Amino acid sequence: MGRLLLAEWTKLASVPRWVAAMMAAVVLTVLVGLLGAASSTSDANRYWDFAVGPDGRSVRDDFHLAHRPLAGDGSVTARVASQAGLVGELQDWARAGVILKEGLEPGSRYAAMMVTPGHGVRFQANFADEVAGGGTGARWLRLTRAGSVIDGYESVDGTAWRRVGTVDLAGLPSTVQIGLFVASPDAVQVTRQFGSVGIGGHPTAATATFDNVRVEPAGSPPGASWTDRDVGRPALEGDATERAGGFTVSGSGDLAVVPPEEDVVRLSLTGVLVGLMAVVGLGVLSITSEYKRGMIRTTFAASPRRGRVLAAKALVLGGATFVAGLVACLAAFLLAQPTLRANGYGPPAFPRASLTDGPVLRAVIGSAAVLALVAVLGLAAGAILRRSAGAITAVILLLVLPQLVAAALPVSAGRWLQRLTPSAGFAIQQTVERGLCLPEDGCFPEGPWLGFGVLCAYVAVALAVAFWLLRRRDA
Amino acid sequence: MSTTIELRDLRKRYGRTVAVDGLSFTVAPGEVTAFVGPNGAGKSTTMRMILGLDAPDEGAALVGGQQYRSLPSPLRVVGALLDAGAVHPGRRARDHLLWMARAAGLPRGRVEEVVELVGLGPVAGRRAGALSLGMRQRLGLAGALLGDPPVLVLDEPVNGLDPQGIVWIRGLLRSLAADGRAVLVSSHLMSELEGSADHLVAIGRGRLVADTSVRDLLAAASGDRVVVRTAQRTEAMTLLANAGATVSATGREVVTVSGLPAERIVALLSQRGLAFSEVAAHRASLEEAYMELTRDAVEFEAPATGEA
Amino acid sequence: MRQALAAEWTKLRTVSSAAWLVAAVVGCTVLLGSAMTASVDTSQCPSPASCQEDTVRLVLAGVWVGQVAVVVLAVLAVTNEYDTGMIQTTLAATPRRGTVLLAKAAVVTATVLASGTTAVIGSLAAGRAILPGNGFTEANGYPPLSVTDEPTLRAAGGTVLYLGLVALLGLGLGTAVRDTAGALLGVLTLLYVAPVVAALVGDPAWQARLQKVAPMTAGLAIQATRGLERLPIGPWAGLGVLAAWAGTAMLLGAVVLQVRDA
Repeated sequence: MGRLLLAEWTKLASVPRWVAAMMAAVVLTVLVGLLGAASSTSDANRYWDFAVGPDGRSVRDDFHLAHRPLAGDGSVTARVASQAGLVGELQDWARAGVILKEGLEPGSRYAAMMVTPGHGVRFQANFADEVAGGGTGARWLRLTRAGSVIDGYESVDGTAWRRVGTVDLAGLPSTVQIGLFVASPDAVQVTRQFGSVGIGGHPTAATATFDNVRVEPAGSPPGASWTDRDVGRPALEGDATERAGGFTVSGSGDLAVVPPEEDVVRLSLTGVLVGLMAVVGLGVLSITSEYKRGMIRTTFAASPRRGRVLAAKALVLGGATFVAGLVACLAAFLLAQPTLRANGYGPPAFPRASLTDGPVLRAVIGSAAVLALVAVLGLAAGAILRRSAGAITAVILLLVLPQLVAAALPVSAGRWLQRLTPSAGFAIQQTVERGLCLPEDGCFPEGPWLGFGVLCAYVAVALAVAFWLLRRRDA
Repeated sequence: MSTTIELRDLRKRYGRTVAVDGLSFTVAPGEVTAFVGPNGAGKSTTMRMILGLDAPDEGAALVGGQQYRSLPSPLRVVGALLDAGAVHPGRRARDHLLWMARAAGLPRGRVEEVVELVGLGPVAGRRAGALSLGMRQRLGLAGALLGDPPVLVLDEPVNGLDPQGIVWIRGLLRSLAADGRAVLVSSHLMSELEGSADHLVAIGRGRLVADTSVRDLLAAASGDRVVVRTAQRTEAMTLLANAGATVSATGREVVTVSGLPAERIVALLSQRGLAFSEVAAHRASLEEAYMELTRDAVEFEAPATGEA
Repeated sequence: MRQALAAEWTKLRTVSSAAWLVAAVVGCTVLLGSAMTASVDTSQCPSPASCQEDTVRLVLAGVWVGQVAVVVLAVLAVTNEYDTGMIQTTLAATPRRGTVLLAKAAVVTATVLASGTTAVIGSLAAGRAILPGNGFTEANGYPPLSVTDEPTLRAAGGTVLYLGLVALLGLGLGTAVRDTAGALLGVLTLLYVAPVVAALVGDPAWQARLQKVAPMTAGLAIQATRGLERLPIGPWAGLGVLAAWAGTAMLLGAVVLQVRDA
């Protein structure tokens, strides 16, 4: 196998055109990435006006709160009796529940238990950490404080409690605010027509009634009493009224990390799409050229175990492309970031992306891996079809066309196309979760790994078919 | 039918390599002209320039006094076979000839005529990719003969043919020349053209080495040498030298003699009672004559390139 | 010229790949167009009339795939001759190289226009059958597709012209590059990658600029029958951009063919 690898490497490296094609792939990837960066501008920072969360990210910390102070350890319990839309329909992500917050200034630390109409009971802490409840349809919520540790519980009947989540808010002051909150996010409506998209949004407000509200110990600190206010700047003003042992709270807003409007990492890796074309050509030609010139007979005469030849070809091609791709993607990322920052893609609207961040590293290395996989896909297609024109066309159709068509289809159909074709592999370039995930923005709602897996599966199947055909057919 | 090919001081360079360097010769009608030289001597480049495929840097290649590119109906003037493999593998042999016929404005019937002429009949319906090298060579020849042209330019037509095919093509070349056509045939193996070539143009490193009729060449190469095989070599050499011949010992029992006809040698040896086992008039093969020419060319070339 | 045309036509019709590619132009266009049409219905809009769906463009969207067969056909028409070396025979038979290129262009374009017309008629017929079932009815403000409607006629005819120009783009680039893989990759990059990259660029002004010059997005503006004011470029101007690309490619091919040795 070692000798085979060396032979295939010699074949690859001794054709000046192929070396040139590989270089072209690198140069195109970097160049298009830079052009993309240079021709993108954002003025998001000009109107960017969000609170800063505990981890430095921009957050929405807007809701209506009925609250009172709590000194030392203790707990707050309430049952969400009902939740209803007040302005606009009740949103799936409308939140109503109990909260324990360090202070009333937006962005301060907190833990909360809440119900949502569409996503059940949830424990949330400091905007980013969110744990779903047991899905039992519980309406009873409780938060307990012991030192700096806050636990969130849910219950169906108010007697049997189940812990949903826990958080350690180190350095929490002795006196914190506890209360009942209601938030309701903006309603976003996407209308898709063939080739154009309309995005409409309007603020909503929801109302919730709480009963069985109990704070323990009730008299700590002494003289504590309930008041209410808007925290942050919800789009619509909220309100709270107290009735025998219960509250009716209405409010607007959301508690969430604000996603950047653009994925700056993926933006700097746009060139991969163009470099890809050269890589496809290289992969296909590395085998079809042998068929055309009859050299495949020499190859198979030199090493009759054809499966090994294919494996050696795939390894050499994939390895070489990965290395070249890694150089290209690193260069594209590092060179494009300063330009992007200069064009308005800087903090706070766009957190600084660094190679030491997991998702960034995943995107850069993953893009190189996509290039390598695509080269091997080309090789397999070439081995199956034995003609350059057919193989190149097939691979490019599978990789690029779905991205165009997905943008024109209704969102659900477009997503299926994204998921089921090899173009899903581009999901690995994604480093942020977006509020509005549309196929035409290259957004993959399932996150980076599923799509990458789909591409891997395609390559594996294509290689298997190629392997089978190589052994079955005469050279 | 008396069209000639005329090359005037033809020159072509690819980058820093000079492929053809001041080549001038004429291919006369009614003759088979063998165009020989070692691989890489510039034969194919010269032929491509004759056909207007490559543009000469200097000089001109004329067919019937005209540039190939300005011929109104070139396939009826020049038939060419450059590379027998240069066919679309998916197209049937007959269809390959058909498109050429269309390009020359020839009727469809002409295709069947040349198919029969080159003996392609049984496989004319097959795809070109499925033909053997020999059959593809015949297909190429059919294409060259399609327009019944007075000039033929054939690059290594013997390649890939079986012995029968070689005999066949020699006969074909002779009959084409007998019709009064000018036939230029290249080869790197002179022996392939033995017995069919009338004229020889030899080139080496893009330059003309010889431009001569085959008869003259053979006579010059053979000289009037006679080979004598005798056990009494020294005596025979003295005797023949005294009789005015140039003699040299070319083997332990072999003497090569020039300057005396064979009959006279036999008479002299018999008179003196010298025993001999063989007296043979030596006749050089075309291959030998050609080898001699190219050997000279190499010896001649070496210092010349040193100066340049 | 007449003889060169006859020769090129004979070449094209005597390889089976050409027939398959012509079938692919028609088949892919009609099938993808039908599939996309079938996946869109009025239920995705608040009210059927508010969809404002450009049904003509939707029905004709199959050319996104159908054009690939056109590109392959046009590129192979010339690069195959270089791959096999047959170009020598072609140029020996017709030494006027401009004539060879013109004859090839005429034959390939005519074939593509004919198959494109079939594909467009097939797509429109399929659309007429599918659209009413998805709520695009006369009552909802979507009259049945008809070429007597001026914008529909422009979109349909323009789509055929689009395919013809794409063929010239492929032929020109193929003649200039002389290599199947290189030419194919070049044309497909221009057609497909340019719009995808354009969509990913962050600045809307640059997006519009790229869409104006990218041959596919500009050329397919000819298919729009609604919301023309929102297009990055007008229908005929867009087709003009594609024509400029095709013309440049052909010019480049002609120059290379004349100047370079075969």
